[in-house]
Amino acid sequence: MKIYITDGTAEGFYTAVYYAYRGGAMVTSEKIVQITLDSEVIYLQTEIDKVKRVADKIDSIDKYSCGDIDLALRSGNKLKEQIALEYLRILVKENRPVRAMLNHPAVIQMMEIINKITSEAHNMKGFLRFMETESGALYAPCSPDNDITELIVPHFIRRLCNTKFAIHDLKRKKAALYNGNEWFTADVGEAEIYLSEYEKAFEGLWKKYYASVNIKERPHEKQMKGYMPVRYWKYMPEKNQ
Amino acid sequence: MLDATTLQILTESAKYDVSCSSSGSRRANTNGGIGNASVGGICHSFTPDGRCISLLKILMSNDCIYDCEYCPNRRSADVKRASISPEDICELTINFYKRNYIEGLFLSSAVFGSPDRTMELLTETAIKLRKEYHFNGYIHIKGIPHCNDDLALKAAKYADRMSYNIELPSEKSLKLLAPQKTKNSIIVPMQKLRSAQLYDKENKIKRNKSIPAGQTTQMIIGASPESDGQILRLTEYMYRNIGLKRVYYSSYVPVVQSPLLPAKPAGLLREHRLYQADWLIRFYGFDVEEICGNGENLSDEYDPKCAWALKNMQLFPVEINTAPLEMLLRVPGIGAKSAYKITEARKFGRLDFDNLAKMRIVLKRAKHFITCKGKFYGSGSLSSIKSALLLSGAEEHNEQLSMFSEPTTALSALSGEL
Repeated sequence: MKIYITDGTAEGFYTAVYYAYRGGAMVTSEKIVQITLDSEVIYLQTEIDKVKRVADKIDSIDKYSCGDIDLALRSGNKLKEQIALEYLRILVKENRPVRAMLNHPAVIQMMEIINKITSEAHNMKGFLRFMETESGALYAPCSPDNDITELIVPHFIRRLCNTKFAIHDLKRKKAALYNGNEWFTADVGEAEIYLSEYEKAFEGLWKKYYASVNIKERPHEKQMKGYMPVRYWKYMPEKNQ
Repeated sequence: MLDATTLQILTESAKYDVSCSSSGSRRANTNGGIGNASVGGICHSFTPDGRCISLLKILMSNDCIYDCEYCPNRRSADVKRASISPEDICELTINFYKRNYIEGLFLSSAVFGSPDRTMELLTETAIKLRKEYHFNGYIHIKGIPHCNDDLALKAAKYADRMSYNIELPSEKSLKLLAPQKTKNSIIVPMQKLRSAQLYDKENKIKRNKSIPAGQTTQMIIGASPESDGQILRLTEYMYRNIGLKRVYYSSYVPVVQSPLLPAKPAGLLREHRLYQADWLIRFYGFDVEEICGNGENLSDEYDPKCAWALKNMQLFPVEINTAPLEMLLRVPGIGAKSAYKITEARKFGRLDFDNLAKMRIVLKRAKHFITCKGKFYGSGSLSSIKSALLLSGAEEHNEQLSMFSEPTTALSALSGEL
């Protein structure tokens, strides 16, 4: 069986789709793959003409599917390329939008990973915590399951349009930087942060608020953890006493 | 800057207000301003009691001139008193907001000085936030009963949502337990706010709309003798005639010793059932007449939709591949999301029982009320269906109890800070 290995970009994926669409070939961007004796590993370079042909074909069937693919490729799921490929196979076979075809396992899988990404992006709009730095700029560290930084930046720009801020994904070692005017992402490993003199005071008030608004006599930790999974607590001051 | 003790007192006095939503408003940021409102609402944190934190929920003061029987901040109660200035509230809100701790402010207060003076200061705070701090995040302001109508209407211009708490489900109970409040002092301002909303709508006013996220209210269940049927009729009236967005229920718990109040807690199952019935009225196309008779209470054993279905077995089973959406919504165990998934998926081909399971539709209760491609998978007789539902209801019941353990000390009934 052929295994196509891409560079992880959307273009790389579309190139792979061109080659892997027919037959039972696999597509992945994982560096380490399990192979069987009869498998043939092919490292792919992006080929722009192939990207265009595949994207045009998808667009002609369903103008929203390329957006779905872009979202799905942000997933932290190791099988994301394979799931997206199988979704495209059905799309082309049916020759009509299949988003709602929820009696098909490949569509269910695709919608599930997309759901996880959009819901994590929504959650991070709430759980992200900024700190004020010495210069007045805001800094928020995070390590989400999926690569969602680009999805949440516009939300914070609408709210904090006059404030410089950085959202730092420590898992993927990249940061989105907004300078009060425009934004871009950059590879950032570690960041050294100098906090403003009021930061600890407001953080302290927030912790006090968090402790006071809780109704101790009605404990329900299970529900709290269900809505706000423990893996997100690391950067939330109220959960770090 | 505000000190931690004041914040603690004013938060602890405010925390029994059930409402925590930040949804319903699409307020955009202004040029050079800070914040906007997200129409679906955003939860920023969750406390160990399982509730969400969305807004900074505090009282401006807990020093009340009223003496409502059930309220922890009533005049005769021995509690620490504190108050906070509009400036301090604004500073705290802005600083919490820019760190992404909150969606906005939920400002309420005990009545100090006079109702007018209290409402004036709440309004002043909202205006300060909007005009001086250019804050466009969410603001929820509590309406103060007996205050001048114009003051409330002025506040509505700056708030996203307002709420007058109805507190008790009948005029008679209000007279007994909160003698300073009357039904009219709560319902009439609600209607005035409603008219302001309708005025904006009719005149297609887009900017500076009054309370774009509408009104909510809250009542205590079980402190007074009203039946569920009566309560739900009041609820339905408020949804359909005053256009309320939400009615919150809070189960009574005896914290305050009083000959006028029952000694026993009302139980959290009752609160739960009322919420279930509330959802049926708002999202599932039910009328209160179908769910609960006027003097009756909701069933303890079955959820209200199950109870309705069991009384109307002649309508079931329905075929999943052909039943209209309105009927799917009436199948016990099938919620709005599942009903939508089914109507979408069946366009691509007929669904069988296995398909439903793979679509993650919960069939434990639904299977007794549906057929898939003509096949029925439920129990044969009404009595066996009833016992199967009772069993699944009992599981739910246990879940409920663990969800709200130690009801004796739960203070959820105390919403009386206005």
